[in-house]
Amino acid sequence: MKSKASKRLTAAAASMLTLALVAGCSGSKGTDSATGSAAPAGSPTASSATGIDTSKKVQLQVYMLGNAPKDLPAVEAEINKMAEQDLNATVKFNYTTWTDWDQKYKLLLSTGQSIDLIYTADWTQYQSYAKKGAFLALDDLLPKAAPELQKFVPQDYWDGVKVDGKIYTIPATYKEFVTGGFIYRKDLQEKYNLPVPTDLASYEQYLLGIQKNEPKMMPIFVNSNVAALHYSYMDLQKMIASNVPYGLNIKYDDPTHVTSYYGSKEMLEELKVWKRWQDEGLIPKNVLNSKDDGTNIFPTGKAASIIGDNPTKFNDNRMRTKASHPDWDLGYSPYANVTKIAPPVHPVHNGFAIPKSSKNPERALAFYQKLVLDKRYNQLTEYGFEGKNYTVDNGHYKMIGTSETNGFPREAMNGWAWRNPQYMLFNESYDNVKKIFDELDKYQTPDKFLGFAEDYTSYQAEKAALEQVEKQYLYPLYAGLVDDVDKGMATFMEKAKQAGLEKIQAEYTKQWLVYCKEKGLK
Amino acid sequence: MAIREDGYTKLFKFISYTIIVVASLASLLPFLLIISASLTSNDAITKYGYHFIPTEFSLEGYRMVFRFPQDVLRAYGVTASVTVVGTLLGLLCMTMAGYVLSRKDFKARNVFSFYIYFTTLFGGGLVPWYILITKYLGWMDSFKALIVPSLMSPFLIILMKNFIKSAVPEELFESAKIDGAGNFRIYWQIVLKLAMPGIATVALFLALHYWNDWFSSSMFINDTHKYQLQFYLYNVINSSNFMAQMGVSTGVSLSGDLPSESMKMAMAIVVTGPILFLYPFIQRYFVKGLTIGAVKG
Repeated sequence: MKSKASKRLTAAAASMLTLALVAGCSGSKGTDSATGSAAPAGSPTASSATGIDTSKKVQLQVYMLGNAPKDLPAVEAEINKMAEQDLNATVKFNYTTWTDWDQKYKLLLSTGQSIDLIYTADWTQYQSYAKKGAFLALDDLLPKAAPELQKFVPQDYWDGVKVDGKIYTIPATYKEFVTGGFIYRKDLQEKYNLPVPTDLASYEQYLLGIQKNEPKMMPIFVNSNVAALHYSYMDLQKMIASNVPYGLNIKYDDPTHVTSYYGSKEMLEELKVWKRWQDEGLIPKNVLNSKDDGTNIFPTGKAASIIGDNPTKFNDNRMRTKASHPDWDLGYSPYANVTKIAPPVHPVHNGFAIPKSSKNPERALAFYQKLVLDKRYNQLTEYGFEGKNYTVDNGHYKMIGTSETNGFPREAMNGWAWRNPQYMLFNESYDNVKKIFDELDKYQTPDKFLGFAEDYTSYQAEKAALEQVEKQYLYPLYAGLVDDVDKGMATFMEKAKQAGLEKIQAEYTKQWLVYCKEKGLK
Repeated sequence: MAIREDGYTKLFKFISYTIIVVASLASLLPFLLIISASLTSNDAITKYGYHFIPTEFSLEGYRMVFRFPQDVLRAYGVTASVTVVGTLLGLLCMTMAGYVLSRKDFKARNVFSFYIYFTTLFGGGLVPWYILITKYLGWMDSFKALIVPSLMSPFLIILMKNFIKSAVPEELFESAKIDGAGNFRIYWQIVLKLAMPGIATVALFLALHYWNDWFSSSMFINDTHKYQLQFYLYNVINSSNFMAQMGVSTGVSLSGDLPSESMKMAMAIVVTGPILFLYPFIQRYFVKGLTIGAVKG
């Protein structure tokens, strides 16, 4: 093991040395004449677009979430070969794994470890880290170190990721939709002549039909996270986002008008729907104890529908179902067909930031520009080596072998953020998703919610208490397990108020309105 | 009369044996359930739930665990060597510490005892620990980060000290001294021999700790080749949990297959297997150590 590793190291060192000899002068802009004059004349200068000083060789530390693919060392070596030539830099890709990634992420940013690029997203709390000053503001660096990238990313994306008026992350430009919809068994729907689920009413008819004809199947899949039902309901009610917290009611069309959803008539109506579904036997009795994560419900024929999943998930389910049962088929109807609202993912959803602790922010930015805009870098880091890991078949991506034998499946490096629509290769099956995306494009509307980052320091205790109350008193209501809905809701409201609901709502509303004003939301 | 009594005895024996057999079988049931689930095909588990006898026999779970056999074996190797090295080094350090603290003629022993005890009450917390190891010691991606932090555990040192105190009488030190033994010789040839049962206990604790440790890997190891077994497997599960929970809302697509229910169970078997064999092995020392103490003490 050891000898192998050291051999590889010497090989790498040797190749680096030869490279340094061949392309020694490329990066230096006359400041460092020693290497420049020693290199053979006439070697082409690979990168001259960057107006940064690349005379000193550096190693960039890139931190990403998830697991490293098996073939990462080979890809990294190849990238380093190119980066050394172009930017006089080498790169190390580090992975946090998914185990305790949030804790590790916090440690990486708070301990001042030298990191040059780190993944950011709304779900990694990009905004709150940016507010705390964990990242470097990129406004002044961009024109100098990555001018092409600055032009490549549309201005409204740059505006979208601004926190307190400054850019802290480089947003991804690939447009995708993660909006919800119904996934249902198309073959069964046709076989029993059931309505296509488009809204709650037709969905209920579909569910009842399934229940009648296929008594062994679960009509709808839900697990202990019954709030999923509520979220879909909210989506269909044209809320600004399904996951507006603390029972606030913010409509998409009128974001500055905030009311309380908890305790409202609308809520009572919703809860009565769940109660009816429970009485009809559509929601399983033991739903609050179910821990099934639902990944295999379609291929095994356990359930006949699921709600709230996005197009990519649908396609994944469909492929897997078709693989095991060619005569089964899944259908998908996005909520946008009814609501006419389909915001594509917000720019903050995928990005890379440069932490404050970075020693080489300029080089990091220049490297990231290469990663996005240089086809060689981009495709290598997204798909691996052509011929070894994948082939291009008729414009479609085709993996060699299976995900078990292939050391670098598609997007195995988790490079979601530097996807470049011009260079992207898709599986043939992905055409279906694209079709849905095209359909959603018709309803495309800006995401108004995701850019907002709440600051809950002033009501942290109340927030925790409220979450407890929701679990205990609200979830049974969502599952339709409380006989007297009116009374159940009254109890929940009483407990929620004791937990400090009003204080949370007031504080959150205040912050939200400030955000609306900042972004000019109306 | 005698025959009747025999009948009662028989009945009594029958009943008590039955109870014992049933009770011990019942305690085996959960383990059996895991074994059975690990041998059931995943589809059958999602459809019919867990059963004691596999509804659809399949080795798919084990195949999934060992789909990258060299990775699993490497992780096994790391865990095994860390456990062995860590336990031996840890025992050496802790028995010495325990011995020194148990000697009454060591003036500063209360100060040191308190110093050790103090760390159980007040710790620096995660962040300083992380900074110490990554920044000042530079042990990122090093086996040292897996072994050294657990070498001296205050609880085990105190246990060791008390054990030596009770197993080795004060007079023994004096007589050994008179016979011309130095401090180290007393420790090496007398204390270690007499304290065998205590050492076995501490060794078991320590070995279990090293075997079950995944947190150090999680924090300090980036190099996939240095993952400990527990972390390697735990991480596979976490990746699938992430996919199931976050994947929906984030639209993040992860390549690779989902580990299945049966795979989780197969993992549990693979992980617990070897350490189960440690118990009878250590137990021998318990008995041996106890008798030695009884005869010579």
